[in-house]
Amino acid sequence: MIQFIDVQKTYPNGTIALQNVNLNIEQGEFVAVIGLSGAGKSTLIRCINRMHDITGGRLIVDDVEVTRLRGKQIRRFRRRIGMIFQSFNLVTRTTVIKNVLVSFVPDLPLWRKLTGLFTKEQKIKALEALDKVGILDKAYVRVDQLSGGQQQRVALARTLAQNPDIILADEPIASLDPVTSRMVMNDFKRINQEMNISVIMNIHHVEVALEYADRIIGIRKGEVVFDGESRRVTKEILEDIYGGNIEALASSPEEKLAHVR
Amino acid sequence: MTTVEKQLLASPRNLRYLLTVAILVLGLFAWSLTAVNFADVNKGGLQISFNIIKGIVNPDLDLLLNVSKQSVLYLLVQTLAIAFMGTIVGAVLSVPLAFLAASNIVPKPAAWLTRLLLIVIRTIPALVYGLMFIRVSGPGPFAGVLTIGITSVGMLAKLYVDAIEELDTRVLESMTSIGCTTFEKIRYGIFPQLLSVFLSVTIYRFDMNMREASILGLVGAGGVGAPLIFAMNSYKWNQVGSLLIGLVVLILLIELLSNKLRGKLIKG
Amino acid sequence: MYDKLFPPKKVLLPSGKVVAEKRSRTPLVLLILVAATVLSVRFTDFSLKVLFTRIGKFFGIIGEMIPPKWDSFPALWQALVSTLQMSLLGSMIGALIALPFAVLASANIVRSKAVVAVFKIILSLLRTLPTLVTALIATFVFGLGPMAGVVAILLFTLSYVGKLLYEQIENVDMGPFEAMESIGMTRIQAFRYAIVPQVLPGYLSTSLFCFEGNVRYAAILGYVGAGGVGLLIKENIGFREYPSVGMIILALVVTVYLIETVSEHFRKKLI
Repeated sequence: MIQFIDVQKTYPNGTIALQNVNLNIEQGEFVAVIGLSGAGKSTLIRCINRMHDITGGRLIVDDVEVTRLRGKQIRRFRRRIGMIFQSFNLVTRTTVIKNVLVSFVPDLPLWRKLTGLFTKEQKIKALEALDKVGILDKAYVRVDQLSGGQQQRVALARTLAQNPDIILADEPIASLDPVTSRMVMNDFKRINQEMNISVIMNIHHVEVALEYADRIIGIRKGEVVFDGESRRVTKEILEDIYGGNIEALASSPEEKLAHVR
Repeated sequence: MTTVEKQLLASPRNLRYLLTVAILVLGLFAWSLTAVNFADVNKGGLQISFNIIKGIVNPDLDLLLNVSKQSVLYLLVQTLAIAFMGTIVGAVLSVPLAFLAASNIVPKPAAWLTRLLLIVIRTIPALVYGLMFIRVSGPGPFAGVLTIGITSVGMLAKLYVDAIEELDTRVLESMTSIGCTTFEKIRYGIFPQLLSVFLSVTIYRFDMNMREASILGLVGAGGVGAPLIFAMNSYKWNQVGSLLIGLVVLILLIELLSNKLRGKLIKG
Repeated sequence: MYDKLFPPKKVLLPSGKVVAEKRSRTPLVLLILVAATVLSVRFTDFSLKVLFTRIGKFFGIIGEMIPPKWDSFPALWQALVSTLQMSLLGSMIGALIALPFAVLASANIVRSKAVVAVFKIILSLLRTLPTLVTALIATFVFGLGPMAGVVAILLFTLSYVGKLLYEQIENVDMGPFEAMESIGMTRIQAFRYAIVPQVLPGYLSTSLFCFEGNVRYAAILGYVGAGGVGLLIKENIGFREYPSVGMIILALVVTVYLIETVSEHFRKKLI
């Protein structure tokens, strides 16, 4: 369970990214975080695995006080939380399986770390993870020869190999075309349901969010303005979250993103 | 003003620019012609070139094929060894220099200083290094290795720097989220990215070093160069022929191999 | 081949699927590298001990070059100018001759396979010969002096620019060429209006790049008597006149740097 209690986040330059955030996310939920660019969606997600530090309040993940973790504890804590990025963040010059195997690296003894020789067990686990996202046949292909959708699946497999309880996804489909987006979202949904892994996802595509997520969290200017089941989301609520910009956003989410970045 | 008119007006200026450049180039050409003095041309030049061709067509087969220490084969293997060792020495020296010259790793002034050093290293002709290293290690192939090593540094380090500056750092973010330490990030995030580029560049340089190594003999730094100049000076054109044939074949083979290997590295 | 010698390892997944894992090439590559290194060390008398005990001598020589002997510059000037002239002349003529050679070596322009093959072979043979060797041969044919240097540089430029140019021509978009042939132009006319505009910037840029490199090469050609500063370098190192060598190197570095800056400016404009 992830608990946000009065969480505040202020950047060093004075920008307030999050304020008064109070949330409870149960194990196994599929949560989509929506809102305008710069509303604090990405910050919210990155606080959970301490990629960002919060500046006020408490953040508790499965009874662990996240802010109290130090150095090695943070790294051990992160092992349980997978993360997926918009730009896939893979080493494109090596094979798919080597990218997946990276998730075992922190557990290796020093000589294996240096030589890059993984155990057979780990290789099998990595292959299984690839099988779960349906790209087992690409295991020994170099990543730069895969399409965007396939690369995001490699990233997903890398996360699965970690055997996480929670998967955080930061705009996972923003660089993909609509068809591949759906395929990747289906993978997320299946992983969420079959393996009872919580998925917390930042997403620009409202219609996709409403279709796949169980629960929607709407953020505006760093505050949670909506929190509830997806089917309860109405046009009025969306207009509230997006500050009246919903028409423009729904029609061209990609362009919107391109302008903001 | 319509675009058509604009284009029409833009065109003559372009023409004037081209004309200036053309005149400049022609001027330079005329100026450099003064360097050549056709009176130098040997009267027997034609006869000599005929002899050279005859020598190349009728190479000294015994020299080409036997396996003693003076044979072409031995000299070529030695040249190959000089090029190979030199490339390794150069690569070893280049890696730290490249990191010191990468503006995304060290502060700008330090990077700039290292780059200046690299330019100087690159500009000094190989033969100068050769002559200097002979004072260090005595004449022989070892001096050749050191020479090739340092001449490789100029180019290798420059290309390594490009690879370092093009590093994709996004993968590090995902490794942070996995819980990797800095060392693990370097080993599994940066190293694999650099390895294939570094290897490909180094193989390319090895290919070039074959040519470099074959001339070092001229200053006494081992390899096929010394016997070549010796044979030429004593007008033994059939020996020159066998040495040249061996050299050309070897260099072509290495080039073929290098292209193949690099193709594999790039395509995976 | 390798996969036949060492068949891929089969990995059985718990789900019953079998994946074929190709054997890693790394051990073989490492083995070859180590063997080649050991052999090379023996063939070249490479010795770290000599290197570390005597390398001071190298830096000693460099130390003697600083400060350079400034008043040797006037004597150097003439040689420097002639080095520049040699590389300019050689590069220009070489780049010009490279044009017909490259066209004749392009399989998409010339229909005769034999012609293409012959010109490709000529270009790659020329490229194989080290410039200094060509210069050496040239001194026998054209006598000692800059002429031999010009010929050597010319031949190198021809091979380098020629090869890159025919590769460019072969990779060109053939659509416009065919379109122009179809509206009744001859092959030559079509080449002029369809291919030339596509390859011209690349050709000029490679020629400039080659010229930059040629200045460096020209500096050593004098060593075999082909004119330029090479002869001065040889003499001064022979007499251990290191401060004068320092002056030569400084002059070369400045010259090369200036030329590279100018040439880079034009190359950026071209692309």
